[in-house]
Amino acid sequence: MVNELRRIFRDPGVLTIFLVATLAYPLIYKVVYWNEQITDVPVAVVDLSHSPQSRAFLHKWNAAPDIRLTHTCASMIEAEQLLREQKVHGIIYFPRDFADQLADPLGQAHISLYCDMSSFLYMKAIYLSCNQVMLEDMRNIQIDRYEQMGIGKDMAWALVQDAPYHEVALFTPTGGYGSFLIPAVLILILHQTLFFGICMLTGTAREENRENYSLRNLIGRAMAYFLVYYGLAAILLGLYPRLFGLPHIGQFGDILLLMVPYLLAVIFFSLCVSMFIRNRESGLVLLISSSLIFLFLAGISWPKEMIPDEWWYIACCIPYTFGAHAFIHINSMGASLAATSTEFIGLCIQTVAYFLLACGLFYLRRRPKAL
Amino acid sequence: MQRELHMMFARPLYLFASVGVMLLSTFFFLTLMRGGTAENMPVAVVDLDQTTISRRLIHEMQATPSVDIRLVTNAYPEARLAMQQGHIYGIFVIPEGFYDDLVSLKRPQLDFYVTNAYTVGGNTAYKQMLTMVNLTSGAFQREVLRKKGFTDDVIMHRIQPLTIEGHMVANPWGNYSVYLVSTILPGILGLICLMLTIFAIGYELKMQTSHAWLRAAGSNYTVAMIGKLIPYTVIYLILGLGCHAILYRFAGFPVYGNHARLLFGMVLFIFAMEALGITLIGLLPTLRDALSIGALYSMLGFSLSGFTYPQMSMLPPVRALTYMEPLRHYYLIYVNEALMAGPVVNTIRPMLALTAFLLVSLLVAPRLCNALINQNYPLK
Repeated sequence: MVNELRRIFRDPGVLTIFLVATLAYPLIYKVVYWNEQITDVPVAVVDLSHSPQSRAFLHKWNAAPDIRLTHTCASMIEAEQLLREQKVHGIIYFPRDFADQLADPLGQAHISLYCDMSSFLYMKAIYLSCNQVMLEDMRNIQIDRYEQMGIGKDMAWALVQDAPYHEVALFTPTGGYGSFLIPAVLILILHQTLFFGICMLTGTAREENRENYSLRNLIGRAMAYFLVYYGLAAILLGLYPRLFGLPHIGQFGDILLLMVPYLLAVIFFSLCVSMFIRNRESGLVLLISSSLIFLFLAGISWPKEMIPDEWWYIACCIPYTFGAHAFIHINSMGASLAATSTEFIGLCIQTVAYFLLACGLFYLRRRPKAL
Repeated sequence: MQRELHMMFARPLYLFASVGVMLLSTFFFLTLMRGGTAENMPVAVVDLDQTTISRRLIHEMQATPSVDIRLVTNAYPEARLAMQQGHIYGIFVIPEGFYDDLVSLKRPQLDFYVTNAYTVGGNTAYKQMLTMVNLTSGAFQREVLRKKGFTDDVIMHRIQPLTIEGHMVANPWGNYSVYLVSTILPGILGLICLMLTIFAIGYELKMQTSHAWLRAAGSNYTVAMIGKLIPYTVIYLILGLGCHAILYRFAGFPVYGNHARLLFGMVLFIFAMEALGITLIGLLPTLRDALSIGALYSMLGFSLSGFTYPQMSMLPPVRALTYMEPLRHYYLIYVNEALMAGPVVNTIRPMLALTAFLLVSLLVAPRLCNALINQNYPLK
């Protein structure tokens, strides 16, 4: 163990990956996603109705922080051209009969929204803000109409508002992209830097022909990595969320407990994979694209309910899957460790399984020499 | 070049890395998001009212295809726990006294909670919740008006006097797979190009075989470089073409603009990533350092390209950094050609930017040439 620690700290490459990458990468991500929410998405307006109603609607809509009405166009063709040129990311269109339909007690008026799909966040901003304004307007129209039907104003109010609702976004009040992604990325960074670092160290040992496949060596190495990473994990998961204003409503003690099986599972998993690495650089080349695959496989950005079963079984073999969900549940949603027992037990099983597998692989490597 | 072909086949890593990783990623991303759109995220209903009308309401919701109620309970903590365990993405609360308030027109309030800890799941649950509120509200208005003797037809337009029609330009199904995979896969290909270019050149330095390499090329740097990179480039181009064919021919992703220009964008992108590889190993002629920087650089490309989190929302200095990522320029070409069918100038500008990466790689030529001859950098 002491030998391995010495090796870690004498190897600038490994040290870069273990310390610098682990501590610096989250900072970079935080800076990239600094604003969290997107605001002022430029939108073009095509108002063929030229009515006070549509103008009132636009006026209210323009006050929403999410979007900004930048262009007023005379026709759809003109607006589409702006969208094609990427000058705007959405179009709002009022048909000619908009005001007439609203005035007609039996009419139904339409507003059309056209959203740029090059990023889903544009659509979200345009849709949500328009929806809010519409719901508000709709109430007033409904009340007018009920009054015309001979229903008293109070009654009409009650009808329209019969079931007013109140929405609460839980856990990350800003609802920002960074608050969602960065906790998952923190866990991924721990996973991948440990993974690459171990592969590099094994590769170096292989190049220098000082492989040692004894059980003592296996446990010693694992303990060395664990010591270094437990400290790093405490900084990354304890300090960073507080420093960056990311969600952190969980018990820190629970997170520290969770890290024990998580880091051990990652270490043994990496040791197993590293047995197939021939030299220190090839690991990096081969495994770099695994980061993205792990992230998506875990069902973080793409909901796990939508992942086909076969892939989900594979996902359950990767420590990251359980680690990320458990961390998000505890850190961002305030779950207790008991509530994440599924993931916790999953990590423990992985630790034992990969430990045994690593023992087996070490044994196979050792045997030819013994013969 | 012959020497390189020999080396390439002698080390299966090259073939495996480029072809294997690409095949695996393509297969992975296309099958992972088979469904394309996220819908029916599981939610919970907390029924604090426990009356016939609340039960009928829940029943009606359960019968709605776009709503997936996983849990019906009368205790909020139970629903909250289920959310913390990741089983559900939203909680819909029917308050106590809902029925009584409703009949006495006292306007009971419905509450719903959605999680923001998972973006896609939470958003989908949110839409579902709005549907549920509308169901509740519509059902109630219908009941009252019917009693007043109005016909259903008349009622419909009074309940819904204003509608919004959403049009998702160029991706009318709101397909997440189309949106994500068409940038991620080229991104992974570019990452492989970059890493393997660094590796191919850096390995000669590490093994101190660069003299043999130069000799084989008649001591000519340009010939040596071209000879070394041609075999890989052929592989990358085949992979790029294959990637394009799979996405836009077989998987049926839309291309509203020009196929040829989009494909040419891919070719330029591959060249730019190779050139970036040469630049990095030229600046840092130590295999390991160059690989580490290359990994960092290309992984950041996915975030900086702005295809998930738009570039316009980034801080100004970060926005400037995005121009240093070839993937950003490829994404712009893709948006313009595949989605927007916009003016050609919007394709040509990023293409010129990609060409600039090629020119930059020429600048490091003297330095890299020196390193190859003198081998004066640390080996490890």
